[in-house]
Amino acid sequence: MLDLILNFVSCSRASGLRISSSEVLDCVNQLELIDVLEEPLFQSVLRSNFAKSRREQAHFDHLYHLFFHEMRSELSIPHSNELSELMEKALDSITAKLDQDPSFQAILDFLQGDPLGYLEEMRQLQSDTDGDTPSGMPNAFGPLIRRLQIMSQINGIGDGLARFMANNRQSIAWEDRKAMTIHYDERLDNARRMLREDPEPYDDGLKKVTTYEKHLNQIGDKSFFSLSKKEVEEMRDIVEQLVRKLKDTVQRRYSKHKRGVLDIKKTLRASAKYQGVPIEVVYKHKPKRKGKIVTLCDVSGSVWTAAKFMLNMLYSLQDCFLQVRSFIFVNELEEVTQTFQKHDINIAVDKSLKEAEINYQASTDYGSTFRQFKREYMDILNKKTTLIIVGDGRTNYSNPEEKILDEMREKCRRIIWLNPESLVFWNTGDSRMRTYQRYCNEVRHCQNLNQLLDFIKTLVL
Amino acid sequence: MTHKSITDVKYHLQKANYICSKSVATVVFLAQATQKPVLVEGPAGVGKTELAKAVAQSLNRDLIRLQCYEGLDEAKALYEWEYAKQLLYTQMMKDRIDEVISGSTDLNDAVDRIADQEDAFFSERFILPRPLLQAISSPEPVVLLIDEVDKSDPEFEAFLLEILSDFQVTIPEIGTRKAVKIPIVFLTSNNYRDMSDALKRRCIHLYIDYPDVELELQIVKLKIPGIKDRLAEQLINTIHEIRNLDLKKKPCTSETLDWAQSLIALQVNHLTPEIVTDTLNMICKYRSDADLVKDNMETITKNAGLECSI
Repeated sequence: MLDLILNFVSCSRASGLRISSSEVLDCVNQLELIDVLEEPLFQSVLRSNFAKSRREQAHFDHLYHLFFHEMRSELSIPHSNELSELMEKALDSITAKLDQDPSFQAILDFLQGDPLGYLEEMRQLQSDTDGDTPSGMPNAFGPLIRRLQIMSQINGIGDGLARFMANNRQSIAWEDRKAMTIHYDERLDNARRMLREDPEPYDDGLKKVTTYEKHLNQIGDKSFFSLSKKEVEEMRDIVEQLVRKLKDTVQRRYSKHKRGVLDIKKTLRASAKYQGVPIEVVYKHKPKRKGKIVTLCDVSGSVWTAAKFMLNMLYSLQDCFLQVRSFIFVNELEEVTQTFQKHDINIAVDKSLKEAEINYQASTDYGSTFRQFKREYMDILNKKTTLIIVGDGRTNYSNPEEKILDEMREKCRRIIWLNPESLVFWNTGDSRMRTYQRYCNEVRHCQNLNQLLDFIKTLVL
Repeated sequence: MTHKSITDVKYHLQKANYICSKSVATVVFLAQATQKPVLVEGPAGVGKTELAKAVAQSLNRDLIRLQCYEGLDEAKALYEWEYAKQLLYTQMMKDRIDEVISGSTDLNDAVDRIADQEDAFFSERFILPRPLLQAISSPEPVVLLIDEVDKSDPEFEAFLLEILSDFQVTIPEIGTRKAVKIPIVFLTSNNYRDMSDALKRRCIHLYIDYPDVELELQIVKLKIPGIKDRLAEQLINTIHEIRNLDLKKKPCTSETLDWAQSLIALQVNHLTPEIVTDTLNMICKYRSDADLVKDNMETITKNAGLECSI
């Protein structure tokens, strides 16, 4: 029993679940208290100890099913010694023929009922997809090629087994042959399916905002893309007004907050000056916590208009936040915080476009942007940071690197994704919104001023 | 008193008007048996808080509740010194204090003498216990509910760790206070933000999802005894159909109950699409959601077996 649990734990760890030893101890202790033969109970004990958030549960369920149901299929076969010997012989015959790639060995182990190596292999496929292609060009093909290799290895093993069966027609009874074929076919199918389908987390914690209050009638409903030059000017004025209003509201809140309750500790200390008579009265004044903001803006044509207005608002409201750091990207990342802090917003917008060392001709690549962020800026995220990503999620068919987004989520307070594209176009073509939204805390459609205002309001107030 | 087995948990919770699935009962039982806190997650309105209340009721224990919010600190959660009382006492005992220092030769001596007495002012007498301290110093075992822990700051979360793993708190002036009787602890979270690994490691995790048809039917029948079988079935089927739609906020169990209650008040015996449309604001709290349900009324009618009025 203990071995079984430990085996399951190491498999889970191999596929990326974090399980500490104290959790294993707890689990084993708890299993002693229940009737382990009743499967729902057994499963819920494992689940409540090993998968401690909703997002991990999908992964856990997948592993549980694989480990306790699919990998146990050999139990259904009449398990004579003879047959298992034959099986070993069959696998040996293939080992002898083919090369000694570690992943190849992993697949063979998987066939023999030890999924550890194969799970590790799958996890690597999902996580370090930093395209190490010979050409040095990072692209989505690196992991794809790796997958194809494994796929062909699986097929190779399948062929090898079939050949073994054919060669030994005489020496093995047909019942045994049939049992073996069924058994191996099932395992191979499992291996292929795991290769094709990545488990994805449940995303029912996701907040999806699609309806909005109407703040402004005409211009507020107009999409950012269809604004004329004159309207853009008009828009700037409106934004300025609104920002001033918003600031007032925030200020009012602060000053009201200042009154607070009597701080007795400090009043007493102050009264010491006047022989214990509380002349100076001190109130508890705890400034409301301000958040840090990190923005990642896609500046490739389609999205930039929306991003521009958002940055404009964010920087006008700078004193409402502890810190605002902004980055722009196309296929690589560039920090523009300084530019925005030093200059007036309109100049800054121009400057950041002209002076940033970004290749505007390149096609948007979210994957490489995330990789660069992870390499250079991961440390700026902490539990007080709100990460805002403005982008359409169109990856130009490159590797989306959603696992890095997942890592970023673990580090920061929340991730909000603003998508300026019309809702109907989400998830069409190369848009990977569906992939990304699973890792965000909130997804917003942000196409016009009304929607943007709504967002800024919830962010500031 | 604690529950003896999983079936015992289920039975007692049912007596306390709470119907739960087997996995919920398992976790509640294990939490008592291993003295570990339970971290309950799930969508709003599936009965996370209600579970803690029911456990308290079924065990005949007091429920101490700590509602978390942004800015909650230990002065409000754990304990506070009663400054006003301390001040009052010093004023009233001025003479005694004078007496203590009257014989002193110099200032140092006087301070030393006062220092000997300072324990009197930083003692249990002047501590104002807040929910957490109340829970662990109560002579009778209690149920402690830390509600919506995800709304609190990360700092507060770190501060909870000592209580959750060792059931003790440290008060600098007095020392470490260990729990008299170990309470059953429930933490609820709405997935507003992810909890830290350190906190998760110390808890048993429980995810309560929307109940399945059978369970919800039982719940409705238990909470609203007068309801007719036919109406209850239609009601639950409709709710489940509506939950399958892509809504902003799905109707939860408590809203199902409210809806059932209002249907009884309207003296409805069976559901028709018209009645559903008329009473929709009991279950859909956004206009866009209500519109979506109305648009899909035909499929709902068909799948939930509603009766078409002719």
